Amino acid sequence: MDGEPLVRWHWIGDHLGYLRDLALDHAVISLVPVLIALLAAVPLGLLCARLPRLYQPLAAVFNVVYALPAIAVFVVLIPYTGLATRATVMVPLTCYALAVLLPATVDGLRAVPEDVRQAATALGYGPWHRLAAVELPASVPYLVAGVRVAAVSSISLAAVGALVGRGGLGYLFVDGFQRTFPTPIVAGIALVVLLALATDLLLVLARRLLAPWASGGAR
Amino acid sequence: MITFEGAAKRHPDGTVAVEGLDLDGPAGRITVLVGPSGCGKTTLLRMVNRMVEPTSGRVLLNGEDVASLPAARLRRGIGYVIQQAGLFPHRRVLDNVATVPRLLGQDRRTARARAAELLELVGLPPETARRYPFQLSGGQQQRVGVARALAADPPVLLMDEPFSAVDPVVRAGLQEELLRLQSELNKTVLFVTHDIEEAVRLGDQVVVLREHGRIAQCADPHTLLTAPANNDVAAFLGRDRGLRGLGLRPASTVGLLPTGTELHGWRLAVDANGRPEGWERGGERRPAPVFAPAADSLRSALDAAVLSPAGAAVAVDGTGRATGLATRAAVLAALGPSVEEPAAERPATEPTAGEPAGGR
Repeated sequence: MDGEPLVRWHWIGDHLGYLRDLALDHAVISLVPVLIALLAAVPLGLLCARLPRLYQPLAAVFNVVYALPAIAVFVVLIPYTGLATRATVMVPLTCYALAVLLPATVDGLRAVPEDVRQAATALGYGPWHRLAAVELPASVPYLVAGVRVAAVSSISLAAVGALVGRGGLGYLFVDGFQRTFPTPIVAGIALVVLLALATDLLLVLARRLLAPWASGGAR
Repeated sequence: MITFEGAAKRHPDGTVAVEGLDLDGPAGRITVLVGPSGCGKTTLLRMVNRMVEPTSGRVLLNGEDVASLPAARLRRGIGYVIQQAGLFPHRRVLDNVATVPRLLGQDRRTARARAAELLELVGLPPETARRYPFQLSGGQQQRVGVARALAADPPVLLMDEPFSAVDPVVRAGLQEELLRLQSELNKTVLFVTHDIEEAVRLGDQVVVLREHGRIAQCADPHTLLTAPANNDVAAFLGRDRGLRGLGLRPASTVGLLPTGTELHGWRLAVDANGRPEGWERGGERRPAPVFAPAADSLRSALDAAVLSPAGAAVAVDGTGRATGLATRAAVLAALGPSVEEPAAERPATEPTAGEPAGGR
């Protein structure tokens, strides 16, 4: 890359629309899986809280999934979901997010103080009702903390999808390396970080809104 | 009325929590279960709302076996207050208190209106309603806990060491508040504590428990203090129980001298409204300890008399006006001709080695 400056600003100026489309695509393929995982993690977590014997095997399965290298999973999925499709990237990302969110949900439910649980029972909540009306809302700070971890790691992992043709901003890295042209790489890094920060900020605001009683306290 | 009929709890591993207890908790009265940890008092309390199911025997509420009702419905009709208050962290104080009315199907507005009344009843300022539990002090949280337990106006109230997590000054305030509430509401209360002082202060009936829920003595506080059933109970009651017993007797029986009486050269000075200003002798003036015969105990009267330079406590009425003088001799005379006959054994004067930590 001799003589090539790190950033050619005019390239960025010429490709603003392109960069925006990539960023939006990146947001979709990385964050929709987190949302889907959350919708699955809450009922699964509640189930695990009621049936503790279910939790260990489930957690083990998702841990193994989490240990699989992303690129390998993408490649394995191509025959089923197609090359360069959103699904090829989003399916594994959903599994990864679930691997983070299921324990977060279960730990959050378990972290509800025993006296709160006892009081709820004594006031006349049945077991399921208590879970839904007391323990789940009381564990929202834990849940949001889990979502923050899952979202940020999903945003960074999604870039790897570029290697199978669908990586949102990750495409800028592939492009930059192939052309020994650093500008897209730098822009890609900046945008990924920006997306992660913006998402995290939104989640912090969401927690303030959903759990104003935990402001500053629990995470 | 709460009735235990041979209620027993054996754990699956063979250990016995409660061996089999027969006890009546009279309607509209406070029955205190007191004893060292491990005596099964909490287990017994929880049998009433079925958070513990007895392995044999049964518990009746007004003659009806609690096991015959679905647990959740039974519990909505029984107030329950625990040591840590157990407030829901995610609900504002008002909605915490409105919990049971909402569970019973009241609409939000009615339930909240009721909750606001209860906050007032337990002495919390209205602005507390909007707060979250973590914004309250321990004493305030405990008051909210009591309000929440009372919200659906249950006839029965279970209290499991409700005041033991707050400091002594706050605790005394909460105890007083409970007695005031009880005089208005007349709930059937079952109260568990390890603190004998608290038991004697609050109970209409005090049940001293030994290990495995065996009753060592069941009596009113006065009988308990003056005639403990045996050495163990006497040791559990701790020292000064004679003096503490005076705290349970009204000072209204003390004979009074006119306020103008001179005692050992001391004369009571009063202001224009008849309120005591101090004892005077020669040019000297000393404070005049007072007691209110209508509200205070013989213990307060004796205390004031002991502290007085003239050897007499000044009796005052509700407005603080001096109504008479109670000499030490007069206070002692109000005790009656003699103490009651002691029980079969002489109570130990020294606390025995096995004394539980309850006294302090």
